[in-house]
Amino acid sequence: MKEKSKQKNSYRGLFLLFALLTAGVFLTWSPFLGQNLTGDEIIQKVDELLTTQTAHAKMKMTIETTSGQKRTFVYESWTKDEGEKNLIRYLEPSRVKDQAVLMLNNANDIWMFFPRTQRVRKLATHAKKQKMQGSDFSYEDMGGGGEFEEDFKAKRLDDEEKNGHDCYKVELIRKPDKDISYSRLLIWVIKENFYPIVIEYYDEKDPTYLQKTLTQSDIQVIDGIPTAKKMVMKNLNDQTQTVMEVKEIEYEVELDDRLFTERNLKR
Amino acid sequence: MKKWILFVFVLISLLLFFLTPPKAQGQVDLFGYYESQIMGAQVKDNFYQLFANKLRVDLKSELSDHVFFAANFDYITYHGKKQWNILDFLSSEITSEIPDSMKPLYVIPFSNRHFLDNAFLRLSFQPFDLTLGKQQISLGTGYVWNPMDVFNIKDILDPTYEQPGHNALRMDVPIGLSSTLTALYSPGDEWKNSAKMLQFKSRISRFDFSVIGIEKTWLFHDYTVFDPYEMSFQALPEKRRLLGASTAGQLLGMGVWAEFAYNWMDETDDFYELVVGTDYTFDFQTYFLLEYYRNTLGKNDYRDYNLNDWMRNFAQEQKAVSRDQIYLLVQHPATDLLIVGMSSIFSISDQSLALVPTVMYSFSQNVDIYGYLNWNVGKEGTFFARTMGNGGFIRVRVYF
Repeated sequence: MKEKSKQKNSYRGLFLLFALLTAGVFLTWSPFLGQNLTGDEIIQKVDELLTTQTAHAKMKMTIETTSGQKRTFVYESWTKDEGEKNLIRYLEPSRVKDQAVLMLNNANDIWMFFPRTQRVRKLATHAKKQKMQGSDFSYEDMGGGGEFEEDFKAKRLDDEEKNGHDCYKVELIRKPDKDISYSRLLIWVIKENFYPIVIEYYDEKDPTYLQKTLTQSDIQVIDGIPTAKKMVMKNLNDQTQTVMEVKEIEYEVELDDRLFTERNLKR
Repeated sequence: MKKWILFVFVLISLLLFFLTPPKAQGQVDLFGYYESQIMGAQVKDNFYQLFANKLRVDLKSELSDHVFFAANFDYITYHGKKQWNILDFLSSEITSEIPDSMKPLYVIPFSNRHFLDNAFLRLSFQPFDLTLGKQQISLGTGYVWNPMDVFNIKDILDPTYEQPGHNALRMDVPIGLSSTLTALYSPGDEWKNSAKMLQFKSRISRFDFSVIGIEKTWLFHDYTVFDPYEMSFQALPEKRRLLGASTAGQLLGMGVWAEFAYNWMDETDDFYELVVGTDYTFDFQTYFLLEYYRNTLGKNDYRDYNLNDWMRNFAQEQKAVSRDQIYLLVQHPATDLLIVGMSSIFSISDQSLALVPTVMYSFSQNVDIYGYLNWNVGKEGTFFARTMGNGGFIRVRVYF
């Protein structure tokens, strides 16, 4: 009996050693395993990272015009169901105070509320192309969660260093059946955490014509989720830029579905 | 009367500041705007000018999660030509039939005024919201015309301008997450003269729709008969019963909407109104909107337009003189701060056209400048006749 027990223990020891060695090899080589990730796999990880169940944020948006003038907007936003439901309500300036935008079905259904007339207007999806309060962000850029994988076909290009980070570079080509304003995106993803640090947006019809560039910086981990606290969208057509700053943000908050209704939009 | 309104407004403001608990006081919000407007119009051989200054003060307070109060007070002063005689704009065929003694009666005065435009309290219960007081009532999906809206008539040259508040008791009952049943009662001097409304709004696939029923006393006037006792034109109140429906959604990537209302009248002929519209934003940011409107109360032949048709239109008692109209709007953000546009209204029935070039410039963070020109190109007697006067206005609005 004792012999059998000794044999069992030696097997256990061998198994443990094998497991440790395997884990060691895996850990040693893991950075290189990324070399084998396809474009679609990288984008899938980006989508997973950007997709939060719920979020509540207070944002500051500063538009810098060609003439050097600035316009600042402050708004509060609520997001639920991995970005499928969005509500934006403007707090400042007085000109747009209490205006609100409700986006459902990943911004495929949009309602806009005008407080002075108490009118709610249903907008078609083409309205997503409109500039958000004249900024360089369109409603399409703002609405919806991480949906790169669903809307685009990804192709991994040669890795590059971008803004001091070792990055994957991925080209995204719009899928034929998708109603997206950009025919192509180039995206630089930090290898360490799969955060997209730079995105280039190309014209709807001409995939070689660069329209806008988004640069994300000041990345902090909030509630366990990497978050860029500063986003700069440069419009190369108009030579303008919009800076978006996260003033406050909390993830995985409890949000009632009734928040995303016309009844609440009017409040 | 006006002083009384001002007194009530100030009193409510003070009460909200001093009688509410400290937490609620922090939620009292004061904002609004000042607007200065210069309007000019070439009418026959004269160029008339009217200046208007408007101060609007808004007050909003969320007293608790279930109690919301909002009000606004408007003070407007006018300068320049403060009395406009409607007959200056009408064809000689219409004006020649009016006795000389009555001609001074067709004057629209622009008198300084101040009033409590909206003042309402909203009580939110779990199953419904109850809104009491003077409030905005916005009905229908149309951009320029709203057949379902018996409470407001939009200015076709400036359709997004705010509408007056209406005294009403309103109950909104949400049914699920996408449907609402609304009941509204706007009291008159007695029950039978009060407006009653029931509306059901919901969503099917990518379309919003609503059905509505309204009963309201419609106050027409006969502008050919002057009542010396009332010192106004003869009032012709008439019961109006409306059944309507509207929808808004998307087809082939374009925004589409439609609105219809059939009106049963107690005394005069029944009529219907119909609106069909579409809009689209191009990749190059140009926005385009087209809306068709039919009102069978309007006439097909401009030679049938009479004084009452014109006066009821000017007095905003009815929405149109001509039967069929088309509105077209094209807007483009020329720069980040400047939006240029052109709207045009074509009266199909009498082949007249109004062109309205517009600019909107964001002068600074809270200062907007609007410019509108109005150029009528129809022949005399038509809805947009040259004799209606070509002109425009510049409006500067400062928000605080």
